Order: sequence, then structure tokens, then C-alpha cells
Amino acid sequence: MRKMKYYLWGILFLGISFLLLSCAKVNPNKVSFELLPLEGNPLVSFRILLKVGSAHDLSGKEGLCQLTFSMLANGGSKSMTFKEISKNLYPLAARVGLRVDKEMSVFTGQIHTDNLEKYYAILKDMLLNPGFREDDFTRIKTNHLNFLQKTLVGSNDEQFGKEILNLMMYEGHPYGHHETGTVEALESITLDEVKAFYQEHFRQGNITIGLAGGYPSDLPAKVREDFSSLPEGLTTPLELPEQRLPQGLEIVMADKKTPATALSMGYPLPISRADDDFFALWIAGSHFGEHRQHLSHLFQKIREERGQNYGDYAYTEHFIQGRRKFPDTNYCRQQQYFSIWIRPLTNSNRHFVLRQALRELKKLVEDGISRERFELVRTYLLNYTKLYAQTLGERLGWQMDSGYYGYQDFLEEVQKRLLKIKQEDVNRAIKKYLNFSNLYIAIITEDAEALKEALVANTPSPITYANPNMPTEILEEDLVIQSFPLAVKPEKVKIAPNTEFFQKAGLPQTD
Amino acid sequence: MTKFTAATLILLLLLSVPSLLKSSKVFPYDYQIEVLENGLKLISIPLNNPHIISYYTIVRSGSRNEVELGKSGFAHFFEHMMFKGTQKFPREAYEDILTKLGAGTNGYTTDDYTCYYVVFAGGENLEKVVELQADIFINLYYTEEMLKTEASVIEGEYYRSVSNPGRKIYEILRDTAFEKHSYKHTVIGYFEDIKDMPNQFEYSQLYRKRFYAPDNTIILVAGDYDHEKLMEYIKKYYSGWEKSGYKIVTPEEPLQTKAKRAHYVWPTKTLPRLTIGFHGPAYFEEKIDKAALNLLAEIAFSRSSPLYQKLVIEEQKCLTLYASFADRRDPYLLTFNSTVKKDEDLPYVEKAIFQELERLKKEPVSEEILADVKSNLKYSFANSMGTTDGVASALAFYINLTADPATVNKLFDLYEKLTPEDIQEMARKYFKKTNSTVVTLTGGKAK
Repeated sequence: MRKMKYYLWGILFLGISFLLLSCAKVNPNKVSFELLPLEGNPLVSFRILLKVGSAHDLSGKEGLCQLTFSMLANGGSKSMTFKEISKNLYPLAARVGLRVDKEMSVFTGQIHTDNLEKYYAILKDMLLNPGFREDDFTRIKTNHLNFLQKTLVGSNDEQFGKEILNLMMYEGHPYGHHETGTVEALESITLDEVKAFYQEHFRQGNITIGLAGGYPSDLPAKVREDFSSLPEGLTTPLELPEQRLPQGLEIVMADKKTPATALSMGYPLPISRADDDFFALWIAGSHFGEHRQHLSHLFQKIREERGQNYGDYAYTEHFIQGRRKFPDTNYCRQQQYFSIWIRPLTNSNRHFVLRQALRELKKLVEDGISRERFELVRTYLLNYTKLYAQTLGERLGWQMDSGYYGYQDFLEEVQKRLLKIKQEDVNRAIKKYLNFSNLYIAIITEDAEALKEALVANTPSPITYANPNMPTEILEEDLVIQSFPLAVKPEKVKIAPNTEFFQKAGLPQTD
Repeated sequence: MTKFTAATLILLLLLSVPSLLKSSKVFPYDYQIEVLENGLKLISIPLNNPHIISYYTIVRSGSRNEVELGKSGFAHFFEHMMFKGTQKFPREAYEDILTKLGAGTNGYTTDDYTCYYVVFAGGENLEKVVELQADIFINLYYTEEMLKTEASVIEGEYYRSVSNPGRKIYEILRDTAFEKHSYKHTVIGYFEDIKDMPNQFEYSQLYRKRFYAPDNTIILVAGDYDHEKLMEYIKKYYSGWEKSGYKIVTPEEPLQTKAKRAHYVWPTKTLPRLTIGFHGPAYFEEKIDKAALNLLAEIAFSRSSPLYQKLVIEEQKCLTLYASFADRRDPYLLTFNSTVKKDEDLPYVEKAIFQELERLKKEPVSEEILADVKSNLKYSFANSMGTTDGVASALAFYINLTADPATVNKLFDLYEKLTPEDIQEMARKYFKKTNSTVVTLTGGKAK
């Protein structure tokens, strides 16, 4: 009986806590919460989400948001140097992670309940009392500059291609620079500007605190009290300009010495996960290029039939791969885009594969999706999405993103919405949102001038195979692909050395 | 607003494990081991996490098994061929079934093993997954033409990371440090061997016969299912698989007696890199050598170590600095790796690493630091145990090494017993200059 009494008091306490937290969320100037308590779970996941991202960087100060938040995640606090923080976190096997996207940034952490108290004390100190030391600033800024100048343009062409596509799609737009910024802007940023950015944006109303796992019931209230030391208020929501659509095939090539060509292409979309049409378009995208799955039609045509490269995919929203092959969370954006990602392939086949990808896109737009494929892809998505949120952090991330797009629980919504979609809806969405003649195309390759000439002249681009007995139907299709006309105008092709990207805002000047 | 939906709660009934402060077992779950007459071993871990099932097939053959000249990269190549289907379930039919299940499937190849996994929801699908997996392992069917086309995909996979200097320096390190053992080449293999893969149809059949057999394979299943049912399906679908009996003999690596060095100029601009390798022991939980070295790697090179703090945080000479003492079935390398910020600092960083190793030979580490490292390793492992697939993927690695899940707790028990003197002894035993290989990489001037 006595046990029952405690139990009831516990429920009452929880109820009051949740009520208070719910009220807090109603006030847009204060911290809000996303809670997934799981009594008995040995782990606790933290996601401290800010509705502030690289799109909030001022012109000429590109990279300021990421640099500021890096100073919190990778620098010391007022009471501890980063060395002391590292030493204290180490025995707990814990870290404070940071990811900055265009419109949001998230600090993440996972901790065993044995160490929760120690971890939260450090996390709180790092975020609420940042040290902003000069030596941390120099170290982190240099690391960001090295990333832009050496790593991105020199060591990872797959990512480099995607980032050039971003520059092309969003020229002159708040999304139009890499989250790390530009070399010129980073060099100009001072520690005082970092402090000012923190003061301006690290405000209660910008913050949602996500907690999941076996945390004690009083933790949310404690966190709320701690974060109430921050100034109230929020950053004015971003009003994004209209997206500029490509006029014909607009091509940018990064010229570098490399045996393999990387390709990314796409264009802005007028819809996002919040729109009804998204679900139909998602089925089309999954059919055409599901990320790292045999289901992808492009994968079947380019890799499986012809062995051209490691993989070929398409996306109907900005995509970051998380654990395994599943989409990562907390990359919500008001404006989304369609893209095709062709993984690096031998330079000699670059023209052919570009033609093949665009021809497949044309066929998708003109022919739509068959009933058989529609049924298969829909069933696939209904089941595959059940694997999206396996860890505490993933579940919390999906829950937080649900709210951004106006859903109670997006993954639950998927189960209802997809069942209502018909083949006709998908084909209507394809016609409405996809096209094959107006695209931004980013290419990283060697001897870019030769490719430009071939593209403009529509020179036939036959390829050869190691297999002397390729199926006749593939060889016959190849004859069509190798001469598939692309309407490339010379004035729409820009070429710049790889090292000239990310130096200044926008694309490199080529004239 | 706080959200609690039924689906959320079901999905979030994650695995419950005891406090590590109170328990000595870092791997706390019960498991059963069964062996079929043909030698196929099943490790079954029924868990209380609803819906999700992880089904792993571990073939104990990796690039270590590529002992013949011209066959580097073959284990990885054969992993690709395993997705080609059978006559009963041709590739399209095989893929369609898994697609309808919404299963997450893939494979990966390592130095010592090749792993295939299917992660899916719903116990009602278990029999179909067992049937499909058994069929592909027993009845894999592909033509020479299919092999030739897939060989081009491997070339494409090579190109995927061709722009990464990190891969290049790793290739050079292994090639320079090893003389005879098959760890000399990396998993993807030498490029000339990749180019020759289209001509290897006959060898692929031999490779399959030798290694894709029940006596070289372990099935690991974790999740929400009934063990007896699983056994019924395993016996039903795998009993007809024939043993191989083939025993691989990997070449013994001769003792290194002279320090080695190599340098590579990357064609374009890049940050300079340094890697130092020492020949170390194989994984073995009965002797202290590898376990003590694992602790040493953390003591000397983790983010909280004095050397990391000096070179990365204070002096800011390095962008990254870490040690990697991978557990392997045969004696492998203990490596120290750094991406340095300026070419001219490479000698300084190299010297600092060797000095730190000399210090560890002379001075025993403090009990406090040792306790921190033991704690870190324990909680790092526990952090990976939160989900069904986390349990399966973490365990797959250790099962490859010894074929026995008990090895995890044995290893962590061994960590607990190690003393500062043990660490010092292993530093003296392995970190001799004559046992070292240093590789540096700097950027060139090409655009």
C-alpha cells in the first residue's frame, strides 16, 4: 500500500513536470522540450537542437555559426579548459557532438546512466558558460580553414561534388555557402564576432532540448532551470528568397588531376516533407534511386547491368546518411531539392554515364512508374521506415523533426499516408515536380575542357566492357545512350580549378 | 509538447542492461550455441526488444585468406558475387522478397572475415529470411558474364575513395611493413589484381568451395524470436550444406630486424600525413600482450592523453592523432597516425611519438590513468549495446576472432587485471625501433 502511495505521488510529480514543460513550449521565447523517458534503460541520449544554422551567417562572415558552436563543442568552458573537459569526459566514454546545417544545429551526446550526473554537469557548463579562449579559437578556425582548403577539395570528391551542386542551386541565397564557410570569410572572423553570435542566437526560444532513455524523472525540470539562465527570446525566423531554377543544363566543373569523375546534379523543389505531395514524390524518388539499395533503378541500370561504378542514387530531399544506410535526422529545411548522385567512375566513361542518367530521368518523367514497381516500392518504404529509428538518438531525432514539418510522429504518419497513395498520384507528382532538361550539374574531373567540348558538340561516347559477351539488349541500348543528345550550351559550362572553390562566397569566377 | 505514442513506446523498449558499476559483465545477455552435423555454428541471442531481428552470416574468410599471388581483393570481390541469387531465387526475385520485407541488407569484408546481414522487423518473416540466406549460401549461381560485369563494379569501388590520401598511406604502410603475410595488401586489393578480376571465374568457384562452407561459417541471430523455432528453420534449410574441410595456412611473417621507411608524394595539394606501424601480436584473450597494448593505445594517444593534448590542442601541430591497434586473427600492426598541418612539422611529430613510446618503456603509467582507460573501454562497449542490431554488429567482430561470444567478457576481465607494470613490459617488448615502419605523405603541385 505504501509502495502504491509513492507510485501515485510519482505519477503526480511526472504529470506536473510534463505540464510545466508543455507550458514552456507554448511560450516561444523559452526553451522547449522533447521527452522520451524509458525507465530502466541504461542509456540517456541528449539532443540540444537550435533553430539556427549556417543560413544565419551574415554576408561576409560565412562560417560564423559553425565556428561559434564549435567553440562550445570543441573548446573550453569558463571553468575548465578543453584539456580538462577531455580528461573528465574520457572515463565516461562520452563526447559532445555537433552538427550544423543550413537552418538548424544540434549538440548530441549519449551517456550510460551510471555517469549521467557527471556528464550533464560538463555538458551544461560547455553550452551555458563557454570559455571563448583565444587558443581554442585559433585551433578551431585553423581546422575549419584546412577543411575547406585541403580536405574538401582535395580528399573527398564525392562530398565535393555535392557541395558544388549546393553552391549552384543556392547562389546568392542564405543556403548558398558551405556550413564551414569560405576561406575569405573565416579569415576575417574575430573572436568578438563569435561571442556576439553566441549572445544573439544562443537564446532560450531557439532551443529544443531532447532527452531520451533512462533518465531520472526530475532531470527535465533541472535542465529547464539551468537553461533559463540564457536570455529569453528567439532569432527572427528566416524568410528565404525564392529558389532560382536552372535554365537548361547549367554545368560547373572542378578541374583536378584524378582518374575518376564525380557527378552530382539536381534542382530546387517547391515542396518538402510538410506537403501532401511529398509522399507520392518520395515513392518516385525511392524507385528511381533509393540510397544504397538494390531497389534503385539507377543503381540497376548503371551499376548492376553495366558495372560502371559503386552506386547511383536519387533523393527528393536533402540527404545525409546516418548509422548504416538510413537517413540522419535534424537536417530540416524549409526549402528542399531533388538530386542525383553518381559515385565516381573512370574518366573515360563520364560522358556516357551522364547521358545515361539524364536519359533515365527523361524516361521516368515521360513514362512514369509501373504498377508493379509502385506496389513494390510502397511496400518497401512501409517496412523499411520501421528500421529508421532504432537507437535512442535516432528516435529522438525523428521525433524532433516531426514537429518541424507539422506532424505528431512522422514515422507513424508514413504508415498512414503511404497506404493512401495510388500509382496515379506518383505519376502525377513525377510530371509536376521532375524534369530532365533543366538541371544544375556538378562535375569533378580531369581535363574538363575536353569534356566540355564533347558535351557541347554532342560527340558520341561509346564505352567498352571487360565482359565480351554483354547481353545484346544492353549493347543495343548503349548505342542509343552513346548518342543521346544533351542540350549543352557553351556559355552554360563553367570550369575552375578545384582549389578555387570555397575561397569566396558563391562559385569561382571563371572569366 | 511532450509526445508519447503507442508506436514510440513499442519501438523504444530498448534493451535493458544492469549498471556497469555493479556488474562485471560488459556483455550481459544470455545466448545459446548450437552446431549442426555439417559444422555450421549458430549463436542465438533472443532479446526482449520487440519486432527487430538481426540475422548475420559470418564467413571466416577475409583478405587474410588471399595468400596466392594475384588474388588480392578476392574476398571482397566474392562478397559482391554473393548478391547474384540462385536458380530458385534469381537476383531479382531474391531482391524483391527482401525489398518487400523492407529489410536492411548488405555485406562487408574485412581482413579476417566477410559478413552478411539482414535486419528486419517481424518474427513472422524469420523463416523466409533463413530460407533465402541458406539458399544463397548453398546454391549461389552466377555466370562468367555476370562475374565480369561485377568486376567492373569493384574497379568503381576503388575509384570511390581514390581521392582520399588516407587510403593511400594505409596501403603503403601495409605493403612496406609486411613481407610475406597476406595482411600486406588491403581489403580492396592491389589495383592490378582488381583489373584482372574479370578473368577469375574459375578461381571464384575454387574460392567458394574452400571458404563458403558450413565449417567456416557462423550464423549469429539476435532479437525478438523464439529460439526453438529458429533452430527448426536452421536445421531445415542448412542441413544439406556440404563441409569443405579446407584449412588455410597463412604465411608466417618473418621477424622485422631493421627499421623501414617510405614516402609518397600525393599529386595534388593535401595536408601531410604520418603513420608509424610496429608488428604486434594477434588477438588472444588468454595472454596479456594484446589486451595490454589495447590499453596502452588509449593511455598514450586518446583525446585525453598528454601527447594528444600537446600536439593537437596546445601546440596545434596536428589536425588528428590516434593509435589503432586492431584485433586480428594473425599478428598485425600497431599503428600511430596523424594528419599534420604543415609539411615541415612531420619530423617533429614523428619524433614526439617515438619519445612518448620511449617514456612508456621507462615510466609505469599511473593507476589513475589506467583506471580511466579501463572505464572508457567498458562504457564504450556498453554504449554500442543499446539496440538489437548494436548487439549483433558488436558481437560479429569478436565472433570472427574466436567463434565464441564468451571472448568479450574474458577480454574485459583481462583488462581489469592488467597493471602499470604489464603495460610497461609490453611497451618494451614491441616498440623497438627495428620493428617500426614509418610512412609519410605530402601534397604535390598538380592543380
